[in-house]
Amino acid sequence: MTGPKAYLIYSSSVATGAQRGIEECKYQFAWDRWNCPERALQLSTHSGLRSANRETAFVHAISSAGVMYTLTRSCSLGDFDNCGCDDTRNGQLGGQGWLWGGCSDNVGFGETISKQFVDALETGQDARAAMNLHNNEAGRKAVKGTMKRTCKCHGVSGSCTTQTCWLQLPEFREVGNYLKEKYHRALKVDLLKGAGNSAASRGAIADTFSTISRKELVHLEDSPDYCLENKTLGLPGTEGRECLRKGKNLRRWERRSCRRLCGECSLAVEERKAETVSSCNCKFHWCCAVRCEQCRKTVTKYFCVKKTAAGSTDGAGRRKSLRLEKRQ
Amino acid sequence: MAGAIIENMSTKKLVIAGVILLLFQVFSFLVGGLIAPSPTTAVHYVATKCVDVDKHHSDWFMPWGLKKCDKIHDFREAEAMKVQANDIVFALHIPPPDKEMSPWFQFMLVILQFDIAFNFNNQIEEGAVATIDVRLGYRDDTVSEWTQMAHSIEERKLSCNFTAARTSDNEGRYYDCELLPFMEIGSVAHKYYLLNIRLPVNERKKVNVGIGEIKDIRLVSIHQNGGFTKVWFAMKTFLTPSILIIMVWYWRRITLMARPPVLLEKVIFALGISMTFINIPVEWFSVGFNWTWMLLFGDIRQGIFYTMLLSFWIIFCGEHMMDQMERNRFTVYWKQIGPIAFGSFCLFIFDMCERGVQLTNPFYSVWVTDVGTELAMAFIIVAGICACLYFLFLCFMVFQVFRNISGKRSSLPAMSKARRLHYEGLIFRFKFLMLVTLACAAMTVIFFIISQVNEGHWHWGDHTVQVNSAFFTGIYGMWNLYVFAIMFLYAPSHKRYGDDQSNGDIGVNSGEDVQLTTTVTHVDGPTKIYRMARKEAHE
Repeated sequence: MTGPKAYLIYSSSVATGAQRGIEECKYQFAWDRWNCPERALQLSTHSGLRSANRETAFVHAISSAGVMYTLTRSCSLGDFDNCGCDDTRNGQLGGQGWLWGGCSDNVGFGETISKQFVDALETGQDARAAMNLHNNEAGRKAVKGTMKRTCKCHGVSGSCTTQTCWLQLPEFREVGNYLKEKYHRALKVDLLKGAGNSAASRGAIADTFSTISRKELVHLEDSPDYCLENKTLGLPGTEGRECLRKGKNLRRWERRSCRRLCGECSLAVEERKAETVSSCNCKFHWCCAVRCEQCRKTVTKYFCVKKTAAGSTDGAGRRKSLRLEKRQ
Repeated sequence: MAGAIIENMSTKKLVIAGVILLLFQVFSFLVGGLIAPSPTTAVHYVATKCVDVDKHHSDWFMPWGLKKCDKIHDFREAEAMKVQANDIVFALHIPPPDKEMSPWFQFMLVILQFDIAFNFNNQIEEGAVATIDVRLGYRDDTVSEWTQMAHSIEERKLSCNFTAARTSDNEGRYYDCELLPFMEIGSVAHKYYLLNIRLPVNERKKVNVGIGEIKDIRLVSIHQNGGFTKVWFAMKTFLTPSILIIMVWYWRRITLMARPPVLLEKVIFALGISMTFINIPVEWFSVGFNWTWMLLFGDIRQGIFYTMLLSFWIIFCGEHMMDQMERNRFTVYWKQIGPIAFGSFCLFIFDMCERGVQLTNPFYSVWVTDVGTELAMAFIIVAGICACLYFLFLCFMVFQVFRNISGKRSSLPAMSKARRLHYEGLIFRFKFLMLVTLACAAMTVIFFIISQVNEGHWHWGDHTVQVNSAFFTGIYGMWNLYVFAIMFLYAPSHKRYGDDQSNGDIGVNSGEDVQLTTTVTHVDGPTKIYRMARKEAHE
């Protein structure tokens, strides 16, 4: 099903899916210099600035993955009438396909619709468009790649003489983790130089992208310096960002976040103590927590601040932040 | 009587028969591979979370459609609406929208999986058990009221592990929970099914406490594909008369003889009967009638056939043993038949415990309680041991037969040339069939053990046994052809050795012949080898 009718049915799921992708992006990049700001997430070609760096690649991949994931899940919830049972493709009408051999996977359906919606945003035919389409596909492949195969035996006496296997949708976090790995190993394609919009160069673009595995993320440009604020590129810089330092159970990537966000960007780390009120000692049920107490907790947070000349400002906090900086 | 057909057949004819059987074998593979769809379909569902606003416990909750329930997308909404856990109903409509279930689906089983989010303060407790209040309803059109089919309160043990670090940072990530067997029905007689699942909380009785933070209930329903059912029925319908005809022909040949049938002949006939029993397509009735016991009946039929086949092999070997023991009686084989019977009995009991009880409560499973699991496991292990024991016996007997044959071979050069060639041909054909049978037996037993050891447990990605229709129809066709071939080749031959060869056969050693008649009651064994074996044993 295509056209405006299809759009109405699926658009809310598509929107939810894109939102899911954004949330995951924010989680994955919470402790990176680039932290997936809202601005970066406008997929449309009309959003003015179109960068073609590693981060753009990730945004495209996670968004299309999110859309595919959500559509698949909506299918399982029974939100759509025609999931995976596209009778026109079977060539058989009126649920005959369902009766004869069952329908195809909901994932296949999610993939198709996601392709229709997300890829349709890419109207250009230049290298950037080709890159975005490639990364959209990589995102969908990531959903498929993280699916888990599960089997059930149900033969004579429940033995494995008969066995049915299916692919199970993973938690979306796993798709995010998978794509983050791909982000670190994203491939740079050198196509921007002298690439016009002629038919010949279009052919060259298609050739180049077809040689790269569809599971890999690709980018055309190098990333800008995310340390600094850049109004023209719309980058906020890392000043004022929170980072993680001490604490058990932090991953290496998180533990080094202060150095990455502040230290390496010539910013100082400031320690701020804050008192938070949160619910605690709750009696939980499987849903809808009940009966909590309010607890006050002092937490230490670290933020990146501009370096100031030593001694010009006083206050323990500043001095402390300098000390911290030295220790790094 | 001059022995079985296999001995009197020329090599050329034997090859022709072999090729024809092979063609049928290929055909049976192709039927499954090309015509039939995959045997089963798995359909994924995520249960819709309905809110029981009026606390009407007798109402049915529909996930979609005309009378759909008040649903929430997320339990965060429930918190805001002050909805309690006891007012949440997980609703699931089978099949998905715009589809209908059909009796052609034969059976349906449903598997349940909880999506439980990790919450630092609300972790799954050790040995947590989920208590599930479930109702199953059906209807045959889209407007009428739902009729209750079953209502049960089931307990399922949660075995979940959390792969990431248990820190507050990882809150919201899901546990890796094992799939839980949930429901099994032996006939899909209705068009629409509705499942309403509640997880009632009772803190005093410790019901559904410490089961973590449930986010979703995912279910997978598995049913046989209608297309596969049709192909399967067609195959059965075609095979039934072919086996029946050869059986009648076989028995007529035996009754035409002057002597009463020997044990081996009777066993072959019994094998034919059990094959026919499995072939008769009574499943056609399941399309018209709501016979829920069909699944159990199918298991029993298969069990009988397996038992018969295993017994046949033992008796076949025993009756070709060339020693001085007096056989031809069923009681001689109790040592070998015993394990088969006992193993089959164990599996029968197990099957009755699982599928028998499911006739009344579709949500029942032996595997959910510790005692049940141990008991079921015990039955299966005993059956496995029996299978091993049986296999050892069989191997030993085959070894003995081959040893005896090679022992007797040494006396062959003393015979006349024509006779020697004849016997050598016999031994070759016998050995050949023996090896084919042994290969089949080994394959069956190995397949059986492998499948049984993993019984009831889940297979993850690394287990890559492809279940496809070609395999099913091919194997099924193979056993039918096997039984067909045995009945055909081991039927007594009417061709008489009217020439000198036959006369020479007995005439040369007439003294032996006398001896034979005095000591062996059944002179006319089923095959010439058998007769020869007896004779030489007395030499």
